[in-house]
Amino acid sequence: MYFLNFRKHLIQINGFAYKNMLITRKRIFHLVEILFWPFISLVSVGLLTRFLKVDPKSIEFVLIGVIAFSVIQIGQLDMAYVILYSIWNKSLKHEMVAPINPFHLVAGSWLMGVFHSSIVFLLMCAVSSQLFHLNFIDSGIARLLLFFAGLVFFSASVGISVCALAFRFGGRAHVGATSIVSILTLLSGIYYPVDVLPLPLSYVAYLIPLTHFLEYFRSFYGFAPKTHHPLLWGFLLTAIYNVIAFSSLCYAVRNARRKGLLARMSE
Amino acid sequence: MKIISLSGIAKSYLPDGTGEPVHALQGIDLEIEQGTIFTLIGPNGAGKTTLISIMTTLLFPDKGTGEVCGFDLRSQSGKIREVVNVTSGNANFTDIFSVAENLNYYGMLYGMAGPKRRKKIDRLIEMFQLQTHRNTPFNRLSTGTKQRLALAKSLMNEPRVLFLDEPTVGLDPQISESIRSSLKEMNREDGLTIVLTTHNMDEAEELSDHISFLQAGRIIAHGNAKNLKSKVRWGDTIRIRYDGPSLAPCGITSLTGILEVEVTENLVTITVDDHRKRLDTLMRTLVLQGNIILQDIEIIKPDLEDVFLELSKAPHPN
Repeated sequence: MYFLNFRKHLIQINGFAYKNMLITRKRIFHLVEILFWPFISLVSVGLLTRFLKVDPKSIEFVLIGVIAFSVIQIGQLDMAYVILYSIWNKSLKHEMVAPINPFHLVAGSWLMGVFHSSIVFLLMCAVSSQLFHLNFIDSGIARLLLFFAGLVFFSASVGISVCALAFRFGGRAHVGATSIVSILTLLSGIYYPVDVLPLPLSYVAYLIPLTHFLEYFRSFYGFAPKTHHPLLWGFLLTAIYNVIAFSSLCYAVRNARRKGLLARMSE
Repeated sequence: MKIISLSGIAKSYLPDGTGEPVHALQGIDLEIEQGTIFTLIGPNGAGKTTLISIMTTLLFPDKGTGEVCGFDLRSQSGKIREVVNVTSGNANFTDIFSVAENLNYYGMLYGMAGPKRRKKIDRLIEMFQLQTHRNTPFNRLSTGTKQRLALAKSLMNEPRVLFLDEPTVGLDPQISESIRSSLKEMNREDGLTIVLTTHNMDEAEELSDHISFLQAGRIIAHGNAKNLKSKVRWGDTIRIRYDGPSLAPCGITSLTGILEVEVTENLVTITVDDHRKRLDTLMRTLVLQGNIILQDIEIIKPDLEDVFLELSKAPHPN
């Protein structure tokens, strides 16, 4: 019985991964968002550093930030789109009348996000190595994998939060997704070290797991971290945020069932 | 055996989140027998869709208790979703997915394993004659085909109760009839319990074992079509066209069972309690009284629309 239930949950999780896979295959714009923009961002920032005659160390600093940011952006987009497409297509109630729960939704869409992020991460590493001589393998495969794992787990926090916003605000949650990502760009030391931020903001920056993951990985390229055990902090904060985001999603779904938002979003 | 029982279900909304609450449902008590077709009729805003949303757990009630397939509406909503399904008129699915992909996706959400799912999809595609549209994206399907897909999707999990919110709205008569036939067949052959809402009184009469009239969030009458018609005591109307001298109504009104008489030139319209009991006496009286030649007799029985109009005129507690 337990095995049958477990298998059923796996199929339901796979349902959301399947939906995400079909969207990627059929919507050229989604493919562009996954592949095109990250590369445009990587190459343009790389070329900017050349134009500004930035030293090789700083180029590594910036490009690590750009690649990390792209991984988070792709991961959260994949999760958000699973719900946003249903809202845009007014089909949400058909999904929510099925015996699924928020975990199926989160797990299925996140798995697809991890798959897409892995491809983009590998491609961006290869491109930055060829064009800008940034070698990610130098840090060691295990460290690279830990860094990547941190990023994709943190992307889940952002993605789940956007899903929660979608159940509350419908299609307008897309604005929320853009806003969260913009705040990350500003605060978590993607293009510059967090000590250049005004002091209160630098404290806020250390509440963002991405800041710690970047400090961890950049430490292998000669940038000393400002905190002890940045990887541990990164994973700890990510775990906390994932729990908070998932609880918010469950609350948002329950609230949507209470207030009739699911039916209204499908009209 | 009751498959759905609701007691005191109430639901209010704040339109746009502010202002005076709208009382969509005000203490609904309802019992639905297994294997029947049950129809909710009512004007727009009567609360039909809200009630279906509550029974399918898309919406939680503010007050009241209920069970669907033996599972509690609040604490076992997940279990209810496993054994029911729903579709509505103008149903929407992911626009870029084909018919088969949409069905496959929903099959996965119901946790159906691959081989069983594929077999079910093939059967439903055949059943609803979607073979030629199998790989057509949803946004390129006609309205009728979209509705057939919606019905196919609603049977993916072999539900015990199927909820249909105005399933034939906006469809041409031919497609509506084919959908009604499918519903009757599923009810007859598989014992599927069907709960539907409709504005179409003929459809309700044709399909339903039981009908509930819903108005302003309350059930104002329920029963089968025959019971409901008798409830309003409207009576049958006999319209007689004749040649000859003008008839005097006084001779007719004194007969038993005559409710109303209206005489115009060569036409007499008589409302009786039951035309089968009164027609014979009435005809004899008319012929004897007036020396007339009958041209045409028309018997009009009240339809559900008349019943609903009559019931909605009656005062109901707020």
